[in-house]
Amino acid sequence: MECVVQGIIETLHVEALEILLVGLCGAPKQRIRVHELCLKSGPNLVSSEVRLLCDLAKTTPSWTIRHVGGAMRGAGADQLSVLVRPIAESKASSTALRFFYGIGYKLDHEVLKTGFAFQFQNRGANLTVSVTSTNRMPRLHATDDAVPITPGIHLVEITAPAAPENYTEVASAIASFCEYLSPLLHLSKPGISTGIVPTAASAAASLMSSGGGIKIL
Amino acid sequence: MTVKWLMHFQPNQGTTLTSQVMAEACAVAESFPGVSRDGRWRSAMTFYRAVPRDQSLPAPSDLPRDLIGISLHDLPNEYLFVMRSQRLILRAHSSVQTVMDKLQSYKGRFFINFEGLQYKWGDFKLRIGKCLYNPNEALRGIVMEVEYLPLSSMDKSQRVMEEFYEIWREAVASKLLAGQFINTEVNFVEYGLGDSYTPQHTAVLYGMCVVQVIASSNKNQ
Repeated sequence: MECVVQGIIETLHVEALEILLVGLCGAPKQRIRVHELCLKSGPNLVSSEVRLLCDLAKTTPSWTIRHVGGAMRGAGADQLSVLVRPIAESKASSTALRFFYGIGYKLDHEVLKTGFAFQFQNRGANLTVSVTSTNRMPRLHATDDAVPITPGIHLVEITAPAAPENYTEVASAIASFCEYLSPLLHLSKPGISTGIVPTAASAAASLMSSGGGIKIL
Repeated sequence: MTVKWLMHFQPNQGTTLTSQVMAEACAVAESFPGVSRDGRWRSAMTFYRAVPRDQSLPAPSDLPRDLIGISLHDLPNEYLFVMRSQRLILRAHSSVQTVMDKLQSYKGRFFINFEGLQYKWGDFKLRIGKCLYNPNEALRGIVMEVEYLPLSSMDKSQRVMEEFYEIWREAVASKLLAGQFINTEVNFVEYGLGDSYTPQHTAVLYGMCVVQVIASSNKNQ
């Protein structure tokens, strides 16, 4: 299970966001370069979707098989400012793509996500803040030739693992962390867009001139 | 990972496999000088079948009918899939079983456990076990896994494994067991596997061995 919020930021403010995150985290960023392949079952099979993530940031690419479940529903879920959903993941060998083709899955689409991430501990929850550009490939699997789908816009996502017995606390930890980022961007449940915040430009300018220097957590 | 060979017991024509063979095979192992018992072992295999979108129809023929999953006794945090028809192996964390459950496109249809006793004999580890259908525990075969601890190269260990195999066959024959142990032969190159032994090699061995065990069991029933 995981809790997640998303928001967007103009690419020209990403450097300022990074300065803010460095100040909050105090640890170096992790580079993101992930080739994400979305596979769907063929017409003969029970309908299902699976994602294969190939981490290209390391010297030796590593593969993860990921299944994302439907968002939690109901009055309790509606009251949360974060989305809660079941997640199942497994590290796998490089034969993962051939394996899923072999059992009847087809490639629906693929993207390359590039950017960076920071890890935080807030109120006992392990938060990952990722700032990425989503890129499409002009030819099958041509990651070196990928181009941004939305030039000028980056996606910011905060995710945190959760369990049925603690997801409300995790949601609260994410919500409180979002406050630190509010001058630059607003984060909300995926699918509910809040657009670009009007204070982003001035907040970014302030961060760039001060170089960050904020250690809050 | 160090090299393993996998053998199964082939009963003589017209004889029925019983648990007594397991006891006799263990007695053979225990007769080796300097051998020591080293606990128990258990591996589990699942035979998967595709779940068609229209469940009133049989599974389409273009979907694999030979997908198996294996949990190996010495790798409790991992799970391996083998598709013999496509010479394909997937090695993953054991949580991949949860992913497959969530996808619901393939379900486990029947299950086989390999379980028995483990012995240490010099540089060898011997694992003799029953091959049991789950859950009714019907005996389908007897297997023996032989591991040579000093080496990971299959080429370099070939001779010493062949010598062990001959020693074992002679010992079994001298005890007048009603059959013999047959080694599982696999062309690992077809699976994209090299000389350095890996869990993928073990998964392929079990995938081939179980086919022979089931065929042998069906023939003798």
